[in-house]
Amino acid sequence: MRIAVVGKGGAGKSVIAGTTARLLARRGYRVLALDSDLLPGLSISLGSGPDPVDPPLNQAAEKNENGRWRLRKGVSVVSAVKRYTTEGPDGIRLMQIGKGGKDGIQPIMGAVNAYYKLIHRLGDARTFADWAMVADMPAGPRQLAFDYAPFAREYLVVVQPGAQSALTGRRVAKIVRMRGGAEVRFVANRVKDKEDVAHVERLIGEPVFWSLPADEGVAEAERLGIAPIDHVPDSPTIAGIEEMVAALARLGGNSSR
Amino acid sequence: MKIAVAGKGGVGKTTIAGTLARSLARSGHEVLALDTDTNPMLGVSLGVGPETTDLLVAVRQALQDGEVEHEPTAEGMAETFGADAPDGVRLVVATRIDRFDSGCLCCGVTPDQLLREFETDGRVVVCDLEAGVGTLMRLEEGQADLVVVVANPTAKSIDVARRALAIAESKAAVLLVANRVSGPEDVESIRSALGRDPEIIVPEDPVIAGADRDGEAPIDAGAGAPGVLAIKELAERLVPTAA
Repeated sequence: MRIAVVGKGGAGKSVIAGTTARLLARRGYRVLALDSDLLPGLSISLGSGPDPVDPPLNQAAEKNENGRWRLRKGVSVVSAVKRYTTEGPDGIRLMQIGKGGKDGIQPIMGAVNAYYKLIHRLGDARTFADWAMVADMPAGPRQLAFDYAPFAREYLVVVQPGAQSALTGRRVAKIVRMRGGAEVRFVANRVKDKEDVAHVERLIGEPVFWSLPADEGVAEAERLGIAPIDHVPDSPTIAGIEEMVAALARLGGNSSR
Repeated sequence: MKIAVAGKGGVGKTTIAGTLARSLARSGHEVLALDTDTNPMLGVSLGVGPETTDLLVAVRQALQDGEVEHEPTAEGMAETFGADAPDGVRLVVATRIDRFDSGCLCCGVTPDQLLREFETDGRVVVCDLEAGVGTLMRLEEGQADLVVVVANPTAKSIDVARRALAIAESKAAVLLVANRVSGPEDVESIRSALGRDPEIIVPEDPVIAGADRDGEAPIDAGAGAPGVLAIKELAERLVPTAA
């Protein structure tokens, strides 16, 4: 199961990614959650506590004599996942690119470079053959164009019933399909009824894989900054994500190349 | 005057930028709307429609593809690659990422360069930034007169607003907009978390939600809707009609 969650800002990517990671862990997978957003989001939805100011991955990279970043000697993808990730709830390992602060991304450039190098090795690492990977991508198309989730075999494109969200979904799906090697699955989020699902399908021009209901409990968790799966574990959205995860597992999403 | 609108993805930056641009134009100002999101969407909230918005030429790609003669000045680019939006707003899309392996975005025309180069002699430039704080970090002092930071009453968007305010404050005047506010407790959650009062409060508004659903400009869906009126108030405050 190797999933990347993409879409417009505010569509619900982090909630879906964080909850999916938690549910996969509870289904018995070892889970690597990947956070390449320079802004906070996934850690809140995952329930893993505040983002570290100095991301552990900063320790994984160094500059060579020409001033170019490289992985430090002895750092492999296996040791990096062991040493430079943090532990989240349900035993999830969380790998983070780090968050931009007042000084921009300069303080986390080591982590940014290490992250990019490591994700391109994850897919081939036999140690992780039976792990589940769930990546929460930042809003929009930028990281997709630069191949920030090369390990992913499923891209969940999150769309809520609105024109901007759907247009973004179409754009990111197009980029993923240009890249190839992964399935594109549209997820309609915050739908109130069948008409909302039909509206999303009209706007994106293809069927959705799954739809998740609008949910006041999740909205409240978002206001409070609490992981929805902890705040409202029995809510309709969490139940919907659980069914979606089961469906993905049935589709054979646990194969790992 | 150059105004840049910043915030987390989905907080309503584009809605506010588009409605602000239309309101200013209706008050008689010459308005240039600059979309610097690599996922350009400002055309939708200006009332150009999603399909047309998706077909708009982006300056950066047009120059790169070389199908048109290079226009050396920002004004020339606005002339050549811009599009007309309702109420006389001129819309310029800076860049667009629509391909896998798009190549480096550091070379060629950059959003902050366009923002810097547009002369504002008697004109208002309203710039919709990409989600997050990337462009704000690259912005230099004087490139924008004002940064409008948009927050919703959610923990994540408040966190992004905090970062955006901290970065923008050293470079321009800043103004905080609380968007999608359902009651006083929403304002209070933003005020207490950020330690400042939002200058403008835009209420949760079914007319704006409906406009987003249908891909219309909020100002066309309901010029008198409470959310739209709040953004008109913002326009009046930023660039008073009488001035």
